[in-house]
Amino acid sequence: MSETEFLTQVRANQGIIYKLVGLYANDAEEKKDFYQEVLLNAWKGWPSFRGEAKFSTWLYRICLNTIFTLKRKQQRIDYKDSLESLSPSVEQSGIQKEEIQRLQQAIRLLSETDRAIISMHLDGFENSEIAGVLGISNNHVAVKLHRSKEQLSNLLKQ
Amino acid sequence: MSIEHNWKQMEGQVDDELSSMLNLSKISHLHSHNPLQKIKRNLLINMIWGVLICMVYLIIIITFPIWQVQAGLGIVFIFSGWAMYKSFIQYRNIKPDISANITLLDELKRQHQSFTEMIRTQLKIALFIYPISAAAGFMLGAVIGSGKPVEDFMHKPAVWIILLVAIIILTPLCHLLAKWMLRYSFGKHLDALQEKIAELEAEK
Repeated sequence: MSETEFLTQVRANQGIIYKLVGLYANDAEEKKDFYQEVLLNAWKGWPSFRGEAKFSTWLYRICLNTIFTLKRKQQRIDYKDSLESLSPSVEQSGIQKEEIQRLQQAIRLLSETDRAIISMHLDGFENSEIAGVLGISNNHVAVKLHRSKEQLSNLLKQ
Repeated sequence: MSIEHNWKQMEGQVDDELSSMLNLSKISHLHSHNPLQKIKRNLLINMIWGVLICMVYLIIIITFPIWQVQAGLGIVFIFSGWAMYKSFIQYRNIKPDISANITLLDELKRQHQSFTEMIRTQLKIALFIYPISAAAGFMLGAVIGSGKPVEDFMHKPAVWIILLVAIIILTPLCHLLAKWMLRYSFGKHLDALQEKIAELEAEK
């Protein structure tokens, strides 16, 4: 696997990293630290990637294992990531931006493991794949996912 | 607009600052902030200090031809060598790299275990060294303070009692202090890891 291939794969999937670091970081500095650490671990682990799993699944593992072991305090996040600082690749209306921001804020209010489960679910992963990444049973994922969805829709209604 | 739709839209957001870091020349120069990496670095620094301190012990052993001090420091020297060996083994066993081949729960458990093993070993090593260090320090301090050889005061039973009391008080005190310091340094991180492990295992 070449260096160019690594960059191509990461560029194609960097939306995963952006979303996850944004959901777990307490501030902009921590977000940068998480991103750097994920890149470093992905680069170090790249030789062991044999393509047996999807690259996105592999990257999710790297991201979650890195963020969860690096994060010291499990506290509610008051960090509001300004969408203005991001450059959207697609035109988004003001209402759309607000909705995206509300979704991001609502997911941040979930517990750390629930954030991981809902992120993977929204990215189209099956319960068995989520269970394989987290190391828990399919049933546990299903129960947690059900609760998180309910919690999330309640938060978004507020 | 649905949650799924908004989630997909989030993917379209590009963070210019983060995106500029995606460069191999930059990535290869990054230093890990993983706490285990920091512990590994600290262990290496401790081992270097250990070598320097052992050299000081040797100088004192040669400079002060008092057999009691020489014997005390000699034992401390041997224990320090043993402590450095244990630290080296631990240094070699700590694997700070995050693996994509194991699950999140296993990774958290691995990190937690590495920390607790390190703390346990450090406390065990220290527990052996405190009484010997206290005795050697007591004698050396008395020699320097009084300007008399050790024989002049160590034959008195009262001095032996004071020495024993000092060891009995100082050893558990230093042990508790070390425990508190390790808890102060790593406690929050260990609690956070434990909390996440418990959350993941909750319905297993």
